[in-house]
Amino acid sequence: MEKKPKMVSMSKRRRTVNIISYITLALISIVWILPFIFLLLKSFDVGNPGVTGYVFPEQWGFDNYIYLFSAETNFLQWYFNTFIIALFVCVIQTAMQFMMSYVLSRFRFKLRKPLMNIMLVLGMFPGFLTMIVLYQILKTFGLTGDNAVPGLILVYCASSGMGYYVSKGFLDTLPKSLDEAALVDGATRAQIFIKVILPLCKPILIYTVLTSFMGPWGDFVFAYTVSLGSQAGMNVAAGLNSWLSAANIGAHFAHFCAGGVIVAIPVMVLFLFLQKYYVEGVTGGAVKG
Amino acid sequence: MARVKITNVKKIYSGNVVAVHDFNLDIADKEFIVFVGPSGCGKSTTLRMVAGLEDISEGTVEIDGEVVNDLQPKDRHISMVFQNYALYPHLTVYENMAFPLRLDKNIRHYELSEEERAADEKKLAELQKDPVKNAKKIAQVEEELEKGKAVKGYTNDQIYEKVTSAAKVLGITQYLTRKPKALSGGQRQRVAIGRAMVKDCKVFLMDEPLSNLDAKLRNQMRAEIILLRKRINTTFIYVTHDQTEAMTLGDRIVCMKDGYIMQVGTPTELFDMPANLFVAQFIGAPMMNTIKTNLYSKGGKYFVKVFGHELEVTGEKGEMLKKRNTPDREINLGVRPEHITFARDKGSNSFPVTIEVNEMMGSEYHLHVVTEDGTKLVVRIPTINLSESEREGMVMGNKINVTFEGKAMHFFDLETERNILVDQENAPEIK
Repeated sequence: MEKKPKMVSMSKRRRTVNIISYITLALISIVWILPFIFLLLKSFDVGNPGVTGYVFPEQWGFDNYIYLFSAETNFLQWYFNTFIIALFVCVIQTAMQFMMSYVLSRFRFKLRKPLMNIMLVLGMFPGFLTMIVLYQILKTFGLTGDNAVPGLILVYCASSGMGYYVSKGFLDTLPKSLDEAALVDGATRAQIFIKVILPLCKPILIYTVLTSFMGPWGDFVFAYTVSLGSQAGMNVAAGLNSWLSAANIGAHFAHFCAGGVIVAIPVMVLFLFLQKYYVEGVTGGAVKG
Repeated sequence: MARVKITNVKKIYSGNVVAVHDFNLDIADKEFIVFVGPSGCGKSTTLRMVAGLEDISEGTVEIDGEVVNDLQPKDRHISMVFQNYALYPHLTVYENMAFPLRLDKNIRHYELSEEERAADEKKLAELQKDPVKNAKKIAQVEEELEKGKAVKGYTNDQIYEKVTSAAKVLGITQYLTRKPKALSGGQRQRVAIGRAMVKDCKVFLMDEPLSNLDAKLRNQMRAEIILLRKRINTTFIYVTHDQTEAMTLGDRIVCMKDGYIMQVGTPTELFDMPANLFVAQFIGAPMMNTIKTNLYSKGGKYFVKVFGHELEVTGEKGEMLKKRNTPDREINLGVRPEHITFARDKGSNSFPVTIEVNEMMGSEYHLHVVTEDGTKLVVRIPTINLSESEREGMVMGNKINVTFEGKAMHFFDLETERNILVDQENAPEIK
C-alpha cells in the first residue's frame, strides 16, 4: 500500500510559526526597552544618586527633576541651547532640503546627475571624519566654546541639502503636469513650489521636520567637540555627559537619568502630535485615479 | 483670438533625437486645428512647444503676430487642458478654477462711473492750480479719465462671477465646494476645461483631453467640446491619437508621423484624398485595404486589374487620371472597407472571397476575408439590407461575393507610398 504523505494542517503550522516569531519579537523588545525602563525608574530614585545594583528604587521622589531646574546646575542653559539649535536647524534644513529636492526632481540641467553622484559619494563618508577640520574652521571664526550655538547651527545646516533623497522620491511621484498646469495658469516657479507642491507634500514635510529636529536634538559628538566644555555653549547631550565622568557619576547618575527623560519629552510630544499626518495621503484626485 | 504661425519648428532632444522635423503651419484666427497621429509622432511635443513647456530647438512660433519662442507660458496668453486633468488636489473645484485668476496681476482698465468721472474732474481742476508741483498726480488723473480706472488683477467678486458662470456652462456648479478627489473622471475633466476657460486666452490648447475617459463619456464630452468651441470662439489646437475625434472636431487636421507632417487638410480632404498611404490607413476604421496591381489606360479610360477582373476607374478619380495623362504603371490600390459591397449575384465585377473572421458590430459586419489569390481584405457590410439567410451565411469559412466601384479607388505609388493624384513636391520621405 502506498504510504500516505504526512500532512500538517495549515492552521497548525501557522500557529507554530506565529508562536516562534512572537517569542523572538518579545525577547528583542525586552532587550530594547530595558535601558529605557531602567532610566525612567532610576530618575525617580532619591535614595542613591550613584550607580546602583537594583532596578526598582527604594525611595521614590521627584528630587532629581527638581534638582535639574534648580540654580545648582546649568541644565536649563543646556536645554535652551539645544532647543535653539534644533529649532533653527529644523527650519533651515527643511527649507533647504525641500528646495533641493524640488530642483533635482523638476529641473534638468547639465550638472544634475554629477551633482547627485557627488553627494551620494560624499554621504558615504562618516560625518565625524570632518570633525577636526570643522572645528578648526569654526575656531577661526570664533564659533567654538561659549559661541558654540551659532557654530553648531552652521555645521548642522551646511550639509542639509544632501538629505534630499526621501523628499525627492516623494516629489517624483507628484505628476509633472501639475507644475505645467500652474505654469500655464501664470504661476512662477516659486509660486508653484509654495502654492501647489508644498501643500501636497504634507506627509513628507512632517517627516523632514521631525528628522531635522531630531538630528541636532540628540547629537553628542559634534556638540561635545565644538562646545569644548563651555557651560554656555554645551547642548544637553554634552552637558549630561559631563555628569558621567568618573568624578561626577557617583553624585549625578540619577540626575543624568532624569535629564534623559526630560530630553525625550519634546520629541515624544512632537511625534504624537504629527503622527497622523504620516498616514494621510493627499495626492488623490490630482490625476486620473 | 489669434492667428498662430509655426515656422520651420524643430525639436531636437539630447543625443540628436529629432522629435519634430521642420513643422510649418499657419493656423487662422478662431480655427479648430487637430494634431493627430500615432503615439510618438511628435504631436504633443509640438503642442507643448506652442505652450512654452518645451524649448523650441529651431524655428519660430508666433501667436498674434508676436514671436513667443522666449516667452514664459504665462506670457503667451494660452490656456491648456491636460490629458490627466492636472487639477490641484488640495484645492476645491472653485479654487482650482480661480487659480489662474488669482495669479493674474495684469492691470486692466474699467470704465469710470458718472460720479467717479465727476470726482476726477473736480480733483483735476484742484490740482491744476499748481501744475508744477502736482505734475505727477495730474498725469495720473488724466490717464484715469482717458483709459478708465486701472485695477490690478481681479477682485474677489470678479473671480466669483467668472468661476460661477464657467461652472454653469459646464454643469459643475454643484461640485464647486468639492475636492477633485471626490469627482468622477468626466467631472474632473470638466473642471480642467473650466479652469482653462476662465482665463482670457488667445489660444486654447488641449492635449488628449478625452483619452482618460471611457468610451461613452468620451462621445458625450466630444459633443460638449463642439458646443464649447462655439461658445468660447477662439483658436483651438487639439491633440489626439483618435481619428474619430480628429474627424469630428477639426476644421483642419494635421496628420503626423515620426515628427513629420503627413498631410494638412479638412477632414473631408483627408478622407477623400489622402496624400499618402499612411494618412489613408490612419483615417477611417477599419484600415483601408491595399491591393498591389496595375493601372492602365485603354481607349481613353483607366482600368485596374483586380482578382482577374478589369475594373474601370470612374468618377472624379477617373477624370483626374485622364487630365494628368497618367502613364500605365504598377500601383498600390487602396479601397476602404466600407466601399467594398456585398454582391448578391455573381456579376461580372464581383469576386469570391472566403470569410476568415466575422466581427458583428450591431449595425454592420466587419468581415476579414481572403480572396482566391490569398490577398486579405476587410469588408464592412451593413446588416440592415441583409436577409435572414444572408446573415446566416456570414460565418467563418463561408464564401461570399463582393465588389467595389471605380469611384472608390485610391492610387498610391509602390515605392514612395504617395497618392499619385496629389501633387507633393516638398513632401517628406515616408519610411
